[in-house]
Amino acid sequence: MNNKPSHCPSADMLVEFAAGSLETAESICVSAHLHFCPHCRGTLHRLEQIGSHFMEKNCEAVSHRASQSSGLENQETLLESVMAKIDAAGVDEPAQTTSPKGQFPPLVNKLIAATYEKLNWRRLSKSVDVAGLKTGQNKFEVALHRICAGGKTPKHDHRGLEYTVVLKGSFSDEKSVYKEGDFILRQPGDTHQPMGAQNGECICLSAQSAPIKLQSFFGSMLNGWLRIRPN
Amino acid sequence: MMNFPLKQVKLSTQMSEAVSEVVSSTRRSDQWSQLLIDVGVNRSKESFAKLFKHYAPLIKSFAQSSKHEGWFPGLNEDLVQEVMIKVWQKASGFNPEKASATTWIYTVARNCRIDMLRRKSNTQHLPLENEDYWHEPDEETPASLFQQKRSEGKLQQSLSKLPKEQNEILRKVYLEGKSHAETSAELGLPLGTVKSRVRLALQKMQILVPSEYQENDHNE
Repeated sequence: MNNKPSHCPSADMLVEFAAGSLETAESICVSAHLHFCPHCRGTLHRLEQIGSHFMEKNCEAVSHRASQSSGLENQETLLESVMAKIDAAGVDEPAQTTSPKGQFPPLVNKLIAATYEKLNWRRLSKSVDVAGLKTGQNKFEVALHRICAGGKTPKHDHRGLEYTVVLKGSFSDEKSVYKEGDFILRQPGDTHQPMGAQNGECICLSAQSAPIKLQSFFGSMLNGWLRIRPN
Repeated sequence: MMNFPLKQVKLSTQMSEAVSEVVSSTRRSDQWSQLLIDVGVNRSKESFAKLFKHYAPLIKSFAQSSKHEGWFPGLNEDLVQEVMIKVWQKASGFNPEKASATTWIYTVARNCRIDMLRRKSNTQHLPLENEDYWHEPDEETPASLFQQKRSEGKLQQSLSKLPKEQNEILRKVYLEGKSHAETSAELGLPLGTVKSRVRLALQKMQILVPSEYQENDHNE
């Protein structure tokens, strides 16, 4: 597969994701990347096996310490209660929720559908539009960014962490070219000036822990508008 | 995805015999997977009760090790119930060629645990359930099954042989639900040390595929 993403989350981020200990907004970005990246999906599957191993071994250790064969005294009652709930539900399968259609990974489509009837794009600069997404957390601002073909974004640095996942098209900066599925982490202090590819618009998912800081004089006037807006 | 040149595939009959042997032994014959299939296909309550007997204590001890802010002992049995109801509902989606029953149930338990926490700590409407974040495991090719079988065996072996300090960190992350940053604060270790111990452990268990791994620019 030639269009496999070449910029991936770090191994320890995948570990936190597999263990379920990653922040919501970061998990959204990792999940969007996984949609495009068979290599990371393979790694994730092996990382989940570690989880199941710990679940098994932990139970052995607990029941050993408690010197009893089972950690659950009221198992029968619990099973009865579970069976009663299953019977009461009437149907075997939970009602299939139709997942919202869209051009992006299913999780992003669902976020878009939960946020607005239609995406509410607002202009950030001449070549960049942004549309915020509601994610039910307040540590990161999660949004879609759209860079028009060949568009130059203002040079900016980062006061906090910024995750970016390319969902459509590609963009480049001083360091590299980023295409569909690529996962990019910018740390505080990193400065860059992304440029949209010439052959079409580029749409990215992003999560920012603090607003980015524009560097030019004109940009500094814009800074006031870029306050983080967690949803 | 690997694309073998045709010539190479023809030449390696010996390898393909080895692979098919692995494939057949990888068709999960363990009793838990069989029971889970029986629940999925035949909706067997007897098999479900057997699964319950085996997994309920595992899920409860998984819940008991949870050190998340806001987790309290009263939630332990709620988690057991919620997970086992999900197991009943979703059993038809279990594919034994993609994961063992235990790994599959671990992922259900992990997702339920996070959802319970998010529901408890959040008054806002949450647009996503934790299940939405995970993807179906990929279809296995004989070659990837071969590799997986090898790595599963190695994983079990090497996990038990991990140095105490690496094991301790993985335990905190997987069982207690701590992030690396929380683990570092709790153990009084620099974050970099925590991350490098995690990576060393992954290398020992051959979780990362080194050649491909180096090709990629992995974000630090």
